[in-house]
Amino acid sequence: MLNEERIKLMTRMASYEEHEGKKNVSIGSYFRSDYISLQVLKSVISATIAFVILCGAAVIYDFEVFMQDIYNKDLLAAGRKLLLVYVIFVAVYAVISYIVYSYRYSRARKSLRQYYNNLKQLSLLYEEENRK
Amino acid sequence: MMKTLLVLKEQIRNFYGKYEIYLIPLFKFLLALLSLLLINGAWGYMEKLKSFPVVLIVALMCSFLPMNCIILAAALFMLLHLYALSVECALVVFAVFLLMFLLYFRFSPKDTLVVLFLPVCFLLKIPYAVPLAMGLLGTPVAAVSVSCGVMVYYILAYIAENQATLGVTDAENGMQKFKVVFDGLLNNKAMLVTVAAFAVTVILVYLIRRMSINHSWTIAMMAGALADVVILLLGDLIFDTNISIAGTILGTIASLAIAKLIQFFAFNVDYSRTELVQFEDDEYYYYVKAVPKITLATPEKSVKRINTQRKAPARNGSRPRY
Repeated sequence: MLNEERIKLMTRMASYEEHEGKKNVSIGSYFRSDYISLQVLKSVISATIAFVILCGAAVIYDFEVFMQDIYNKDLLAAGRKLLLVYVIFVAVYAVISYIVYSYRYSRARKSLRQYYNNLKQLSLLYEEENRK
Repeated sequence: MMKTLLVLKEQIRNFYGKYEIYLIPLFKFLLALLSLLLINGAWGYMEKLKSFPVVLIVALMCSFLPMNCIILAAALFMLLHLYALSVECALVVFAVFLLMFLLYFRFSPKDTLVVLFLPVCFLLKIPYAVPLAMGLLGTPVAAVSVSCGVMVYYILAYIAENQATLGVTDAENGMQKFKVVFDGLLNNKAMLVTVAAFAVTVILVYLIRRMSINHSWTIAMMAGALADVVILLLGDLIFDTNISIAGTILGTIASLAIAKLIQFFAFNVDYSRTELVQFEDDEYYYYVKAVPKITLATPEKSVKRINTQRKAPARNGSRPRY
């Protein structure tokens, strides 16, 4: 038998899953710490790539000066300085992405609450049907 | 006047709700076609890409692919054109795209569209519409994407300006060319002024729009447009950026008209739409078409009764159900 109430509920849930819920459902399948650390890790990797690009651009921009300087420079000190800049760059970016993704996680959870309630209601409807 | 406009809006909304499945690919197709043609017109260095069949095929492909594919196609077109001009330019612009993606658009992939819209609107001479629209529809974070879009346009415009020097194929000058492009990127005063003006506009429009005052949307777009013009002209005075004053003011007026249009369609409307969903349970497959009930219907024709002796019948019964 077709159960109209159940179909309505399922339709609403399917449309949620298809639109705004799509991302939230996938976020909701992670634990908070797992989700955030994965995203921050991704951020660190992309920040590293971005840093390499920026350094490359800086070298190419003043290529001749760079080649002249490289022989009379204290390479160790320069390397240390570069490392420090890199760490600060990545740290700032990681902190920003931590804030963004923890906000997103809590927002997704909030949005999913209604969805989980609907799931519960659905299982109740199933139980009712089975009892009949 | 206002009433007819509102009815028109309702009708457009109904039409959109009904034919959404066909309209969205059509819009995507038109957007892709317009942007690719404009890119070809402004930076058409690779002859093969300029042939109309190629543009048409790519635009048709974009019509049924996700929105971000239009951006990808446009970026690819730009890079290929630049590659035809000089490898160095293409490399620098590619690096800029990559940096923008890695640092910002990972967070908000939806905003990427702005980076496409801005160069397109610059070519149509109405870039001022974009910060107004983003302030009205988005969040203050959109200031970043608007800035990225401005940068992309100015780099490309700079390359187009210097194509004579950059286009020369000369093995020794490779490094020099990098330097020229980077200089155009870093010491471009007009770009910096525009970035500042647009960022301020987005934030100002957003802040005023959120205030609980009457006509906040209209006041917001007026204030935003004014701030935009003032900053651009001040920048022109201080840094001598050679902004065309008449162009700025006319473009701003046109942009205000566009913002007004956006307000008309976006303000207080819920574009809930017809949905086609599929799901199943143990016994059935369901293919459900859910059509939203329209709460604010186009007004019915009301019949004025001149004969007041008879009581008018209750109208509730005759109201059509949607």
